[in-house]
Amino acid sequence: MGKDRLLDVLERYEAVIGLEIHTEITAANTKMFCGCPVAFGGEPNTRVCPVCLGMPGALPVPNEAAIEWTVLAGLATDCDIALWSQFHRKQYFYPDMPKDYQISQYDLPFCSNGMVDVEVDGPGVAERLDLDGDVVADGPVPVVEDGGYRVPIGITRIHLEEDTGKMVHVGGSEGRIAGATHSLVDFNRAGTPLMELVSEPDIRTPEEARRFAQKLRSIWLVLGVSDCSMEEGSMRVDGNVSIRARGQVEFGTKTEIKNMNSFKALHDALAYEIVRQADLLDAGEAVVQETRHWDATARRTSGLRSKEEAHDYRYFPEPDMVPFSFEPEWIASLAAQLPELPDARRDRYIAEYALPKADAAMLAADSETGRYFDATVEITGADRAKQAANWMLGDLAALLNAEGIAIGDARVTPAMLAELIGLVEDGTISGKQAKQVFAEAAETGDAPGAIVEARGMKQVSDTGAIEAAVAAVLEANPAEVESYRAGKTSVIGFFVGQVMREMRGQGNPAVVNEVLRRMLG
Amino acid sequence: MAITEADVRHVAMLARLALTDEQVGALTAELGALLGHIDELQHLDLEGVQPTAHPLAMTNRTRADVVVPGLSREDALRNAPDTDGTAFVVPAITGGGDAS
Repeated sequence: MGKDRLLDVLERYEAVIGLEIHTEITAANTKMFCGCPVAFGGEPNTRVCPVCLGMPGALPVPNEAAIEWTVLAGLATDCDIALWSQFHRKQYFYPDMPKDYQISQYDLPFCSNGMVDVEVDGPGVAERLDLDGDVVADGPVPVVEDGGYRVPIGITRIHLEEDTGKMVHVGGSEGRIAGATHSLVDFNRAGTPLMELVSEPDIRTPEEARRFAQKLRSIWLVLGVSDCSMEEGSMRVDGNVSIRARGQVEFGTKTEIKNMNSFKALHDALAYEIVRQADLLDAGEAVVQETRHWDATARRTSGLRSKEEAHDYRYFPEPDMVPFSFEPEWIASLAAQLPELPDARRDRYIAEYALPKADAAMLAADSETGRYFDATVEITGADRAKQAANWMLGDLAALLNAEGIAIGDARVTPAMLAELIGLVEDGTISGKQAKQVFAEAAETGDAPGAIVEARGMKQVSDTGAIEAAVAAVLEANPAEVESYRAGKTSVIGFFVGQVMREMRGQGNPAVVNEVLRRMLG
Repeated sequence: MAITEADVRHVAMLARLALTDEQVGALTAELGALLGHIDELQHLDLEGVQPTAHPLAMTNRTRADVVVPGLSREDALRNAPDTDGTAFVVPAITGGGDAS
């Protein structure tokens, strides 16, 4: 399915999307209701106890840190924090959940009524067709701004619950349920604190859904609540999507999409589903309310073939736990601990350093990158912040990507990058040389100044030396000199190249240019 | 609010209880009597009364986020009907469950 199909469908239909985002609180040392450690993987069933195995008589006790992390997450997303809240039991049967109920929250979650701003730029802007306001939207109204738009997306609630165990299906193909003869259950993950965020049905395009999830991931990372690994499943996104004719007010029948294991999958699965629903409606058929799985390889969603879904969870208040009564002072003390959040940091970079918005957003998206940038600019000074940003989003980002390492583990430290920027700015080396120095520093961890020294790379700005080189080049190329003087000034590029070669790349390009023009003219 | 046999069968299905027709009949009467008792509450004026969240007048019972030793894997698997020595072995799933 091509992108054009989606845009074609969106001409006629408006999509209504809500997301459910589960995030494991990997910052917690222990599980939600017992003292077993929180970790990823490991030998099966080695981080378990009577509580997380659901053994009769075992009593769960809530982890205070997990509750604080959830309240912090709520505060970071403009939620109201409940002064009165409690856990409920949600009953259903599945082998990865040993108690046959999940301890979750129902009508009294810790956080509700929040909001985050989502910015869309680039090609994804095309998916939003009511930007000029000629179609009346019943959701939040997008605000057009430089190269894209911004739209506030509502958060219905964030509640806290426990994660399930993990199952491996044996006997079928590729660990799938279909054809399996039996399943192996590992309860290491069971009981891991799990935040569930439910958005309002405010999202109108797959791109907005992707940006919303990315923004939340960025906020969670800056808070430090979770490592948010979609690969390892510590952040999992499900989507509810329906479509309606443009101008129609009533919602269409929705489907729930699961198994979207990357931001790209989130976008592509929703796009596929919107087109699938439109094809049904166009053919005069109805959309069936059901849960569908995204298959990233086949690039399509398919129904789960489960019998009629009975979402009859029979919630009731968890009798093993007493309710929570939060003092406003306690909530305020947590609010005071909030770090600088991505949007605030981005806006500071724009205000203080006049960085382009997209660059500022990338630098502010996680704490480590932001700290690296701040540390670099602290040395270079604000007037060289742009260069620092360019290096970080260019050569440094490429290096981190290629090596698959975090910015905190890069051999080039903020101090080294600042030194390198200084060497370029004071004319010691050219921009081209700087790239070589950067690569060598990344390889060896040596200071840029030392590399320049050792390689004899210093850029030559001395006019006398450059004049000598220019004179030699002009003498060796009389024909080109003639054509330049005859008006073909484009050969200046050829001369610059020759002079730089003569000077083994160490000539200051600006001075070389200037001397060439003078001596040719 | 009268409870019907269909309600009883539905709840039994949700709770994975296999009931005989006789049991359904008996339970319909018993549950009906229980709900009839609850029904009396509906006639009271409960305007402004907070729901009882818990019979104990306590709040905010939590534990510190500190690791405590759990079970050895051997002990964890000891009472399982079937294991492979590392994991609980369960029959193949044929649907009807849920996951969140």
